[in-house]
Amino acid sequence: MAVEDRAREDIALIRRAIEEGGAYTTACSPDMLVWGVAVALGYLHTYAFIRGWSAMQPNAAWAICIGLPWIYSLRRQIRTLFGSAPPLRGPVAQALGMLWLGCGVFLTIMGVAAIATGAIREGWFGAVVAGVMGIAFYASAWMTNLAWLRWVAVAWWVGEIAVFALRHQPEVLPLSAALMLMLLAGPGLVLLRRGARVGR
Amino acid sequence: MTDYDHAAIDELLHSRVRLAIVAFLAGAKTADFSAVRDATKTTDGNASIHLRKLEDGGYVAVKKRFVARRPQSLYSLTERGRQALLAYVAHLENLLPLRGGRSE
Repeated sequence: MAVEDRAREDIALIRRAIEEGGAYTTACSPDMLVWGVAVALGYLHTYAFIRGWSAMQPNAAWAICIGLPWIYSLRRQIRTLFGSAPPLRGPVAQALGMLWLGCGVFLTIMGVAAIATGAIREGWFGAVVAGVMGIAFYASAWMTNLAWLRWVAVAWWVGEIAVFALRHQPEVLPLSAALMLMLLAGPGLVLLRRGARVGR
Repeated sequence: MTDYDHAAIDELLHSRVRLAIVAFLAGAKTADFSAVRDATKTTDGNASIHLRKLEDGGYVAVKKRFVARRPQSLYSLTERGRQALLAYVAHLENLLPLRGGRSE
């Protein structure tokens, strides 16, 4: 192999590996854990309200359970507004961030619209959430080179079927909460404990 | 040393696996053993050997800790490793006729 060819291949390898490293770090941020716990609490509170265990209106609880994670996830942009330089990220890491941001925006708009119009009572929204989570995890598995995230995606799609099947039962709420804890907060915790945030 | 002096390239980074490990850690800052192994698409034994060589060369630092009673090794790139990677990239660029310019 010519020296130039070897040099080109090495540069491509370095670029790809740095990208994968950046994407891995992005995936290891605590956002998944924060969102998974917050949305699970929202589902559990709604279930508690239906059962008469809580007097707090579900809409108020959801405003907190969705609003606070958004503030947390937008911390980088908020810091940038106050003059801090945004961290340098490669295209794959940025694409990963944009993927999750896009999913979050889509689900928030759909969720607010479904609550405002009363369509949330038809029960299909939980299945949409599970389906979108499956897509996000499936794409993330490729971007981060973490093959096990594909199985999380598959589990979300199985969960989507279960949530749709139970959409008219109140038990869909604890099931959705369990999916959020096991398939969003769980992978978030695993990634966080794998240590990419240590030493920052 | 000339730009075409291929033998002058850092021997520690001349291995594709070690180069991939160093580049991955340059992007990730810190990662555990399985993340490094998965990223470089190698086996436990192979990754372990190459990480040890990089550690011995001072390019990679390792921190060991216990998570849920299981040992975990966290790897990060040292300043020496970062400088070696930058020097290696600069050397590679000089080997390319169009991008390096000087080697034409």
